[in-house]
Amino acid sequence: MIWKSENRKWKFGKKAWKSLFAKKLGLGMSDEDKIALVREPIANAALAECVRAGKDGATVTFDGHVRNESHGRATSYLEYEAYEAMAIAKMKEIAAQIHEKFAIDRVAMVHRLGRLDIGETSVFIAVSAPHRGAAFDACRYAIDTLKKTVPIWKKEFFADGAVWAEGELPPTPPSAKSAS
Amino acid sequence: MVQTAANVRVKVLFFGRLRELIGIAEESGELPEGTTLAQVFERYAERFPKLGGFRGSMVVSRNQEFAAWETRVAAGDEIAFLPPVSGG
Repeated sequence: MIWKSENRKWKFGKKAWKSLFAKKLGLGMSDEDKIALVREPIANAALAECVRAGKDGATVTFDGHVRNESHGRATSYLEYEAYEAMAIAKMKEIAAQIHEKFAIDRVAMVHRLGRLDIGETSVFIAVSAPHRGAAFDACRYAIDTLKKTVPIWKKEFFADGAVWAEGELPPTPPSAKSAS
Repeated sequence: MVQTAANVRVKVLFFGRLRELIGIAEESGELPEGTTLAQVFERYAERFPKLGGFRGSMVVSRNQEFAAWETRVAAGDEIAFLPPVSGG
């Protein structure tokens, strides 16, 4: 990992991190933020822990997990797929945006792909800040923006079939005249 | 707008329900230089008529950035057709 580790105590070792971020290590992640797509269970507690530093007074986390029904139909499980390179790029953009908009310290944002069972975490976001207001606002902005702009798709499986979740159309730029 | 005869090689990706519908996740091909992303899609809609109905409920990206349909392709582009996103 490329963590800054000055004056920090780790409750989990390098192995835990390796598994947490799997092959996504070293893809230009900054020292401060942790952005990843993973195929194994997300280590929620470790992520919440990793964003906090001495100067912070609050960490706000968002834990998105798999609901047992969709529009009144009992869900069996979900499958997530992503345009991985673009999804990581968009998640990094969101991290950059919340650093710009809110007085926060660090961000961890991890989305899981593949098959997820009821109750499992699909997305986890942790934002630390000196004061709670910025952490709340930034965390809310991050999950709302992720749901609108990050190219990840969810397929819902039921006892008698499967459907792609409706989703949202990301905003697109105004007409561009040429490829350049 | 002048359309040159030269062809450019591009990679085209499909995701989610679009990928499922046509059974293609990724393919490379040559297109006339100056082809717009809308025209790229039209070519696929001709090959896979079922795709045409999705034109109004999808977006397109070029080199991992959301792009306007009028954008023209260039050599080496990675183009992706993306249904409404539903992460989270």
